Amino acid sequence: MLRTWMREGNHWVWFNAMAVAISLLAVIGLISFIVFKGMGHFWPKDIHAYTVQDGQGGTVQLIGELHRRSDRVEGNIKEGVTHVPQLLVKVGNRDIFGADFKWVDEHAVIKDITAKDLIMVERYEWGNLYGRLKSVTLGDGMTVTGNQAWDTFQQLIERHTELHKQIVRIQKHEIGAINAGVEQLRLDRRRLELDNKLTEQAIAKLDEKRRQLDGEYQTLLTQMRQLEQTASALGKAQIEIMTGDVVTLPIDKIVESVMPNAMTLTEKFGHYFHRIWVFLSDDPREANTEGGIFPAIFGTVTMVFIMTVLVMPFGVVAAVYLREYAKDGWITRAVRISVNNLAGVPSIVYGVFGLGFFVYVLGHNIDQLFYQEALPAPTFGTPGLLWAALTLALLTLPVVIVSTEEGLARVPRAMREGSLALGATKIETLWNTVLPIASPAIMTGLILAIARAAGEVAPLMLVGVVKLAPSLPVDSIAPYIHLDRKIMHLGFHINDVGFQSPNVEAAQPLVYATAFLLVLIIIALNITAITIRNRLRERFKSVDN
Amino acid sequence: MSSVNVVLDHKSRQLDLASEPVAIEVKDWNLYYGQKKALNNINMLLPEKRVTAFIGPSGCGKSTLLRCFNRMNDLVDSVRTEGSIRLHGHNIMDKSQNVSILRRKVGMVFQKPNPFPKSIFENVAYGLRLAGENNRKVLEEKVEWALKGAGLWNEVKDRLQENAMGMSGGQQQRLVIARAIAIEPEVLLLDEPTSALDPISTLSIEELIFELKEKFTILIVTHNMQQAARVSDYTAFMYMGDLIEYTDTDTLFTNPSQKQTEDYITGRFG
Repeated sequence: MLRTWMREGNHWVWFNAMAVAISLLAVIGLISFIVFKGMGHFWPKDIHAYTVQDGQGGTVQLIGELHRRSDRVEGNIKEGVTHVPQLLVKVGNRDIFGADFKWVDEHAVIKDITAKDLIMVERYEWGNLYGRLKSVTLGDGMTVTGNQAWDTFQQLIERHTELHKQIVRIQKHEIGAINAGVEQLRLDRRRLELDNKLTEQAIAKLDEKRRQLDGEYQTLLTQMRQLEQTASALGKAQIEIMTGDVVTLPIDKIVESVMPNAMTLTEKFGHYFHRIWVFLSDDPREANTEGGIFPAIFGTVTMVFIMTVLVMPFGVVAAVYLREYAKDGWITRAVRISVNNLAGVPSIVYGVFGLGFFVYVLGHNIDQLFYQEALPAPTFGTPGLLWAALTLALLTLPVVIVSTEEGLARVPRAMREGSLALGATKIETLWNTVLPIASPAIMTGLILAIARAAGEVAPLMLVGVVKLAPSLPVDSIAPYIHLDRKIMHLGFHINDVGFQSPNVEAAQPLVYATAFLLVLIIIALNITAITIRNRLRERFKSVDN
Repeated sequence: MSSVNVVLDHKSRQLDLASEPVAIEVKDWNLYYGQKKALNNINMLLPEKRVTAFIGPSGCGKSTLLRCFNRMNDLVDSVRTEGSIRLHGHNIMDKSQNVSILRRKVGMVFQKPNPFPKSIFENVAYGLRLAGENNRKVLEEKVEWALKGAGLWNEVKDRLQENAMGMSGGQQQRLVIARAIAIEPEVLLLDEPTSALDPISTLSIEELIFELKEKFTILIVTHNMQQAARVSDYTAFMYMGDLIEYTDTDTLFTNPSQKQTEDYITGRFG
């Protein structure tokens, strides 16, 4: 019985099925783990008011979110240890208490209430604040208390959010454009100086432009100051914090405020998606531990696109030469082996090469030749988007070459002969027939390249990815795509938030959320490429058999 | 003209190789794959606007010889040749011969249908576009002419933009023939054009060959002796790289002068 079972190879089938199941489990486990850990962060959690024995007979009050539970070990090995269950409470108010989190022994808690009137206030600085809203003072000095206080509070925050958006727009875009103009004038002047063409007329012209820009700047500045004044005159909120003290919080320091204990499930969901949206679309704040990660998403995707544009032509052309033109001698074989081995070189080595060659040699020379007016400040002689993309292109070149070569090798001889027999030259045959048929394989190379490039972090730290980039690499100022700018990157963001953050507990869920997002982006990029490949395959499917 | 008439016409005429105008002249032709000699001192005159069939057992060199006429053997690195092949008096092995131009004059159809993964229209227009023809109207006219010439027009005129890979094997082979005649070659090489096809498709290709010889010199390699007898005016029997016998088809099949030929056509070997 067992022998027949074995002879039919059933144990192998089971073994294979098991291997597949384990792989599947690993993938599902990984994704659900980071989803669970990361996405929970955005859920509006209940706020507890704990009454805790302070150990000297008295009690203290702790207001905050229950962050997690853990055990504290008491005693020593000789006499035996006991595990004391503990709660980690996010009490916020970092400016007052010095830290966001407090440990409290579970048995010391004598009362735990989730009162409806407890609120969480997210501030632009110093993180969250937990407490009870006492009253709101409007700009004209009128004070609102009681039930109306919360509604007024919300309205004021909403008004401020509007003003804040306008201020940011003026600050980042309009004044940013003027600054770029001023910098351009300085460079123009320096360029003329270097060319010995800095005449009186030219200076007058430049000064005229400068005055114009200064005028515009003053107008904008006045506008901004007015907005800021309006914002600061919106009012203040008086909030009682857990120590019983009442703190006064100006409205223009508040991002948002919620009363989670009073929220219905629908409201909670609404708020949950709102916070996810903010996370996706906003700029980071507070050393990347709060706000959003939009610049990192944008940087990652831009870099992968530029990498693609760089690596595809190079890789395909190299593969075509290797497969179609190079004589199959020992040199070709050596090149092929080297290319394959390049795929196994640790990525940090590429980073070192990118920094040493692209940035310091290529970039330096580009600056000397084309950006002399900006020196000693480097333009391309410093890590930036172009070098990051180029380093990744180099890193992924082997996979593109190998896949393209395989694709070319699989194009049936009949196809080539059919084309040649019609009088096509070799290059015409390549363009019109061979490359289109090999295109699904070329796309496979692209998919592998994207998967590898988007997940790479180590080399990028050396060649252009930074913790916080002041501006996006693509904007409305000519030349629109700024290849010299430094960028943010999701992979590095994870690294930064996870390891370099001053607020570890607060950063942890962000690490998971960012990791999940990175995975999503890689999947999205891959699905796009796979869809294109499947379309091409469909078109050329009958060629293969 | 229906194919039946063509058959009658063909059979009723007495053929004489010596009196035919010459399209291709093969002289002292030797071909080596590395050290191995594959064609041994071939001398033959191929008549214009006739169908000449090459028969012989596998490996006798008939396909290799056929591929000499449009220099497809250039693609094989180890091939070395001696002697000359003249197309209308011009040596095609000459250094000054542009291979692309030669292949436009000498079209080829392969054993397995090999349409490109493009639309039917683009398949037929492929050679025309290579020749520099980009005028849409001219292309349309010539594609229609070629498809009619290949007897395919009525079947595909409503779906010219569909992918050629979706056609049946027989249609694909006729499409490949249309593709080859679209650029109006002088010579058409058919390398076992029906060996991958079913009997009905084979019949339609054979009928097509009758019609095409009005305009083109046709050289066909075939495994199938009945086919050679049916479609060709002249037949060459090859064996082990030698040209054993070459004469008009009727004589070769009814009254071969060589013992080897007789053995082969009566099925004693091969």
